[in-house]
Amino acid sequence: MSKKGLEELSEQGQSSRRRFLFWLSSALLAGSGLISAVSNLVFMRPRATYGQPSRFAIGRPAEFPVGTRISMNVEKVCVVREEAGLAAISIKCTHLGCTVGVSETGFACPCHGSRFDQDGNVIGGPAPQALPWYKLTLAPNGDLEVDKSVTIEQGTYFGV
Amino acid sequence: MKEATQPKTIWGTIAELPNNVWKSIFRNPLPSSERGRSATMFTNFFLHLHPVRVHRHTLKATYTLGLGLISLFLFLLLALSGILLLFYYVPSTAQAYDRMLDLRGTVAFGTVLRNMHRWSAHGMVAVVFLHMCRVFFTGAYKKPREFNWVVGVILLLLTLFGSFTGYLLPWDQLAFWAITVGAEIAAYAPILGSEVQFLLLGDYSVGQEALLRFYVLHVVVLPLLITLFVAIHFWRIRKDGGLARPEQPDTVVETPMTLTGGEPRGAFGLMGFVRKPFTKVGNVPGNTVYSWPDLLTAEIFVLVLTIAAILVISISFDAPLEEPVNVMHPPNPAKAPWYFLGLQEMVSYSAFWGGVGIPTLEVLLLLMIPYLDRRPGGEGIWFSKQRLLANTLFMTFVVINIILIIIGTFFRGPNWALVSPF
Repeated sequence: MSKKGLEELSEQGQSSRRRFLFWLSSALLAGSGLISAVSNLVFMRPRATYGQPSRFAIGRPAEFPVGTRISMNVEKVCVVREEAGLAAISIKCTHLGCTVGVSETGFACPCHGSRFDQDGNVIGGPAPQALPWYKLTLAPNGDLEVDKSVTIEQGTYFGV
Repeated sequence: MKEATQPKTIWGTIAELPNNVWKSIFRNPLPSSERGRSATMFTNFFLHLHPVRVHRHTLKATYTLGLGLISLFLFLLLALSGILLLFYYVPSTAQAYDRMLDLRGTVAFGTVLRNMHRWSAHGMVAVVFLHMCRVFFTGAYKKPREFNWVVGVILLLLTLFGSFTGYLLPWDQLAFWAITVGAEIAAYAPILGSEVQFLLLGDYSVGQEALLRFYVLHVVVLPLLITLFVAIHFWRIRKDGGLARPEQPDTVVETPMTLTGGEPRGAFGLMGFVRKPFTKVGNVPGNTVYSWPDLLTAEIFVLVLTIAAILVISISFDAPLEEPVNVMHPPNPAKAPWYFLGLQEMVSYSAFWGGVGIPTLEVLLLLMIPYLDRRPGGEGIWFSKQRLLANTLFMTFVVINIILIIIGTFFRGPNWALVSPF
């Protein structure tokens, strides 16, 4: 093989090696960029939150006589006492999270005009879903407890 | 050159010191010759983003209406007044509202400064939007300015987000319920929605973490991003050959260098070397004037007008401050500022379509406009007949948004029910 041919060959080898190294280093750079972006997102995601606990006591069952509809605005729950028993209905609008007020026909949202009936069913406005009902339990000390992490079927009253 | 003479004594050095310092900062004296006008524009850091010469069409007040400049000046006013307000603000749910009251009661010029910040923000939203309309109706987004339109749309979004994060900071009723609703809208986004909401709020409900996050976004992240994109926006205006103008052959006026005595006239060579107007040494493109003083005086005029308008408004009208946050009771109706009432009106029909679907489509369409409308013609002319279809479509978009805002502002009462304002 002539000298020129050898040079061409080695040049070809060099250029393919260079191309390989170029793609390898680019991939490594892009990968580390991606990892640091994801780490930043993870950093932005707190592991502990300081907001309301999802399970809380609301008082003795006797504090809620039949016919009661009390809105607990911090906990965003309306405690309802009917003949059938007690229920905890969410008063956080299923549309965009405003606090719904108790109205004559049920609940009404001041932000975008959603309306719900006594049981939380949508009867008007943009709300996509009925207001959820939360699970009620009786704690050993006799207090009623609402567990907002568990939604139950509408119309399931907690007998006392 | 005479300047090279060395002072003989220390006293001579001291006597020349002020002059030397001055000349080391300002390389050129106030320009008196054409070459001086070029050199001043070219060598001054703050002026060098201007071209040395500018097309007459660019200076027409009836063409640009100065809207881009007004946007910039409002942004600068916001930065200045914002930095001052930072000295008295505490991003804490317990203190933020009291600090607003302190601004009124115990801080000199506190009220007027907060008014300026708030009204400039409202003004910037309006003017940036109008600027976008101007650019559309004059077809100024066409090749080669497509990407600068995209940068402009990004700036519009940053402006809106900046104003959204801003009105949360007083932690009044408007703030609390706006952030509640805003974050819930984010949660309607597909797949990542609730994750985005959690990242924005830093918690599962609106509280201290959310206030801190929006504060950092408002005072650091968004101003930095806006500054970056404004720089790109301006840089590209230069690289794309100045503002769009009607296609016409660029006449070249021969101004031969006068070598006989004095400085060469009209010589600015490479100083004008951008896409257009092309310049050769000794030649000056027709229909252009020196930026010093024509462009500068126009800019200073707009600056003074902007500041004057904001001052008059800020002295006459107080920025709104609602009741302190009451988690129990949203105000009824709970209304966002006027520029979001169109959005709120749409959201009142469907949270997903009004809050996520349609706005996303609108933004995507806006971003793609220069890549969809590829037909040349009509650049630099208001409502050109060649662009009848495009202008009609965009006008429809503008009018629909304005109608939605008017409905949301005047025709919505308690429980977002339709009411008559009359």
